[in-house]
Order: sequence, then structure tokens, then C-alpha cells
Amino acid sequence: MIRIFDIASKDLLQLLRDRETFLFLLVMPIVFTLLFGFAFGAFSRSTTDPRLPVGFLDEDHSWLSHSLHDLLAASEVIRMQEDDFSTQASLETLVAGEKLAAAIIVPGAYGHAVLQGKPAKLILIGDSGATAGMSVESEALSAASRLDSAVRMAIIMEQVRGDQAPFDYTYQQALSAWQEPPIRVSETTSSAIKKQASGVQTLSHTSPGMMLQFAIAGLLTSAQILVTERRSRSLQRLLTTATSRLHILLGHFLAIFVLIFCQFLLLITFGQLALRVNYLQAPGATLLVAFCAALCIAALGLLIGSLAKSGEQAIIFSLVPMFVFSGLGGAWVPLEVTGVTFQAIGHVSPVAWAMDGFKNILLRGLGLESVLLPSAALAGYAALFFLLAARRFSTAEEK
Amino acid sequence: MDAIEVQDLRKAFGDIQAVNGVSFNVSQGEIFSLLGPNGAGKTTTISMLCCLLRPDAGDALVMGHSIRKDPNGVKALLGVVPQDIALYEDLTARENLTFWGKMYGLRGAALKARVNEVLEVIGLSERANDRVSKFSGGMKRRVNIAVALLHKPKVIYMDEPTVGIDPQSRRNILDNVVELKNQGMTVLYTTHYMEEAQELSDHIAIMDHGEMIACGTHAELVRIVGQMDRITLTISILAADCDRERLLQAWSRVEGVQQVTAQEDGMIVLLADDSHRVLPPIFEAASTNGVRITGVDIQEPNLESVFLHLTGRALRD
Repeated sequence: MIRIFDIASKDLLQLLRDRETFLFLLVMPIVFTLLFGFAFGAFSRSTTDPRLPVGFLDEDHSWLSHSLHDLLAASEVIRMQEDDFSTQASLETLVAGEKLAAAIIVPGAYGHAVLQGKPAKLILIGDSGATAGMSVESEALSAASRLDSAVRMAIIMEQVRGDQAPFDYTYQQALSAWQEPPIRVSETTSSAIKKQASGVQTLSHTSPGMMLQFAIAGLLTSAQILVTERRSRSLQRLLTTATSRLHILLGHFLAIFVLIFCQFLLLITFGQLALRVNYLQAPGATLLVAFCAALCIAALGLLIGSLAKSGEQAIIFSLVPMFVFSGLGGAWVPLEVTGVTFQAIGHVSPVAWAMDGFKNILLRGLGLESVLLPSAALAGYAALFFLLAARRFSTAEEK
Repeated sequence: MDAIEVQDLRKAFGDIQAVNGVSFNVSQGEIFSLLGPNGAGKTTTISMLCCLLRPDAGDALVMGHSIRKDPNGVKALLGVVPQDIALYEDLTARENLTFWGKMYGLRGAALKARVNEVLEVIGLSERANDRVSKFSGGMKRRVNIAVALLHKPKVIYMDEPTVGIDPQSRRNILDNVVELKNQGMTVLYTTHYMEEAQELSDHIAIMDHGEMIACGTHAELVRIVGQMDRITLTISILAADCDRERLLQAWSRVEGVQQVTAQEDGMIVLLADDSHRVLPPIFEAASTNGVRITGVDIQEPNLESVFLHLTGRALRD
């Protein structure tokens, strides 16, 4: 049993003497995380207002149309663009030219109609079939409904209670009551998204993605050790000692696992401290995913090392799964932006499961329970790769 | 009890019968050489004896432990020096020896002391902390041997340990092998160098095409082809009246010369009991008959001639 640790410590000594190890395990993932971060705008300090620009033309000029304007101006979805010289035609031109997402026109009799309890029309210029148009329409309807209900409430209360409930007072109370609506949708799955800046969101994807990708790339140095051992006949010599094949295999596996798990811990620390990626939001879950991903990649390394017959093959056998698993698994581009079919295919890659686990923590703000399935999948892959490596190792008769 | 008892070992790789019914015994404390050309089956035999390969048939006992039934028992007794430099080149000599020592079950202070001791034996104490990749071929070979000595094995297998090294390192290794014998170890040594087998071995087994074609002491093997020296003479005729037949008769009358044969290529082959004793009268007879001897090749009976006699091929073919 102790020979397993002897073999692992010997392997680690060899690996740590190899500068390529540090290049692939630490330098490259940090560089590429930063590179992808820049590419996706994680580090840009944009002051642009993200709200939809919406033209507003008040033809009513009543106190109600002013109130409607104030409600819309306070929106988090639309940004009011006003020009004293606007006309319906000029607004139509601006919307058609995509200078505005949409435009709202308050017709002349709007205030009067509301007060009389008659249907009050608002004119919306825009494509109500497009996302932007629908958002503006929804925001305008919401504001108009609040205004209308406040007016009706004030009228009824004045009729019922007379001077005890003057119109102005009741209207203001009703309108301000909308600021704390009685029913509210609680967004439990996207609370993390709301809290994070968009740059951190980008890094929350690229940081684990690059970490996983270069952990696989780093297997080329680990696999080289196994190949060199076999080619120099040191493996053959090991087999002439009282060390069993299983112990030899476990020793090599342990070394690769320790190396990758340490790499994960260092990169997670770097991500947490330098990039503000919130791995510690659920530390237990983060550790579990990292542990299972390291198991899986270490077993893959063992398989590559047992399959490759030369150093060149070890490089190819490491780089091919790196590209395939990383590309399919969503390390470069989130699987969420791809179609259902691609997502299903992508989950053939263990990287997809590891990314699911990390993103459940980092982007969806979930805890330990959310990473159990991805971790189990990774452990399953680890077992599969290990068994294949063991089979190859035991059938490769050493002459 | 013999250190190694090999009984009808057989191993095939596909259609190729690498070892075909090999049997021999090695006594404790002796050097036993397996001699044969490349591809004779020596390494396959050694691989089976150190439990790397499972025999198709037959068995071998190493200090009473069966390679089939008790491979771990066999491995614990063995030190193996493979043909290749089976070391980790990116580790230092000391790190290599320490690692292999652990694999042989040594730990702690005993391991440290033994590593230092072995480094001293192979004369590499000064270079102990240098990486093996920086060593010459001969130095690597010495470390390669040292690994097998760490746990003071009772039996040591050495598979062509002198291949591809300089004469000085080779001499050093051969001296080490003799020293191992003097320390009481049993050495099973494979080589295709006849001189090494002849110099080192108490017993020699000659292998060819997976079979053992002869086995015995050097003297016993040489007796197979007889005890006579073979002297091949190249001559040039000086006198015009030289009688070739008369010369051959004169040589055949020299005491100790058993046979004189004129070859088609002009060279003369003599079989003699002792080449050193017969050469002066042969030169004298040649001079008397107007003939100059321009070349002399003496072949004393050796393993090369045994191999040639048994297989019809030279050992190095």
C-alpha cells in the first residue's frame, strides 16, 4: 500500500521538475481566462445606460399625462428620450432607423378619458412582435394601468367618504402603494445574476472553463511520464519487484490527481481573489465539483498514458480530448446559448458536467445539492476511464 | 538445493516459439551464463524467470519458489538488471536508488545507508546528486546494476548488462559481477559475447532459436569440438623449385601436428595439440622449403567454435 505513495511522490517529483507542467497547469489557464474575459468584455468599464431608448410625445399635457411620464421615466427597462420638436412622423422615422426601440404617444384626450372612466388610448410605435417592442409595450401598459387604477380608487373613495378621503390624497396614496405591490415574483434561481456585474458573470464562465481545459491539456506531461517509464523499461523493472500492477496504476493515478486538484485549488483561489468569481459562495459544493473533476481528468490521464506508445502519441492523445471535451462541454461558449440537441451531445463530455456544477454555484447561486448530479456523473466517468486504463495496463504484457 | 531449477520452459508469441522446452539448473553461489545470438530466447527465458511473462508450459523454481505458484515469493528474492537502462533520467542517481530501494521494501535509515553503500560500490558517490540524464552510458549502466543490488538479493539476473558501453566500463561491470559471486550471490547472466561467458561463468548454456543446444562448464563445452588448436597459414612461395607437397609432408611430421590440409584458396590449415609448441618448427620447415609464411591465425578451441560446430553458424552471424 505504501508503495502507491512512493510511486506517486516519485511522479510528482518528476512532474514538478518539468517546466511544461507549470505552463499548462497554471500559466495558460490564467492567461486564457483573462484573454476570454477581455474578449467577452469582462474588464470593460462601460457607462452606457443599458435601458431601451423610447421616444415620448405628450399631446395631452394634462397632469395625468405628466404622471404617466414620471412613472415611465422611473422604469428600469426603458429610458425616455424627449425632444420638444418631436412629431409622430419624426418618432416613426427614429424607430424605423433603430435609433429608438419604440415610441409612446399620449393622445390629446388621454387625461380626460381616464378621469371620465372611459377607455384611454396610448399610441405605441414599434414592433410589438420583437423582444424590445414587447418590453416597451409591457412597461407602458403597466404604468398606464397603475395610473388608471389609482385614479379610479381616488374617485370611488371620494364618492364614498367625501371630504374624509379627498381625491388628491387618495390618488397619491394609491399610486405610491404600487411601489410595494401585494404580489411579487421572487427570483430564487437568478439572485446571483442580479447581484453580479456582467464582467463577473463572464469570468464565472471562463474561469472554470479554462481551468478544466488546461487540466486536460496538462495531461500530456503526466502521460509522458507513463510513456517514458514504459519505453525505458522502468515499468518492466517495477513489475519484477513485489509491487503489483494495481499499486503501480494507483500510484500514477494518485500523482496526477494530486497535481490537478492542487491546480484547481490554486486557480479557484486566484479566481476568487483576483477575478472576484464567487467560488466561495458554496465552498463545499465547489470542493466537491473540483474533487470529482480532478478524479475524472486524472483517470483520463492514466488512460492516455496507458494507450500512448510514444511521446508524440501522448501529446496527440491529450490535445484531442482537450479540444473535443472542452468544445463540446461548453468551456469556450456556454452550452445554454446552443440548441437542445447540441446541449444533449455536449453532455457526452465530462467537461459539460463539471461546467454544470461550477455554473450552478457561480451563476445560479445554488448550493451543494445542485452539484450532486454533476459530481456523480464525473465520478462515473472517472471510474470508466480508470477501468479502461486498468484493462489496457493488465493486458499489455511486458516482454 | 539449486538456486534455480528450470523445467521444460516454453513460451510462444503468436506463431513464433521464443522458448522451446528449456531446462537447466543453477547452483547457489555460481555464475551461470546463457549464451546465444540475438533472438535466441535468452531475454524471454529471463523474463519468465523474473515473473514478467507467464510460461505457456513448464515451471521454474527460484530458491524453491515456483514462478507459477509463488511469483511474489520469487520477486522478493531477485535482483534484476535489465538490458535497457531502466532508470528515471530526470531524477538524480540518489533519487533513483532511493525510489527503487523503496520498491524493494527498504525504508528509513537502512535505505539511506544502503544507498550510500551502493553508490560507493559503483564509484558514483561524487555524482550522486546529478541527474542520470547527464551521465555517460557506462555510468548509467553502473547505476542500472546498483539498483538490483540494493536489497542484497540472493539471486541476481543480468540481461546483457554490457551492451553498448566503453571497454573501461565493461571491465568495471565484469569485475562487479565476479565480486557479487564472491559475496555469495547466484548470478544468471545472459550475453551474446562469448568472451564474457568464458571469463565469468562456472556453467554456460548455449541457446539458439529458443532451444538450449548445449550446457556445461567451459571445458565440457570445448570438449564437444575436441581439444586441438586450429592454425591457418597464409604462405608465399619464394624458391622456384619449391615442392608444395614436400612442405606439407614436412609439416605433418612436426611433433604435435595431427592434420595438415591445403585449402582451395591456397591457405593451409593445421590441427595441433599446442599451437605455441608447433609454430617454431613449422616456420623452420617453411624456410627450409623456400616458403615464407605471411599470415598466421590461431584458433584455440572456444565457445565460438562450439557454437559453429553445433549450429553451422558463427555466434555473431
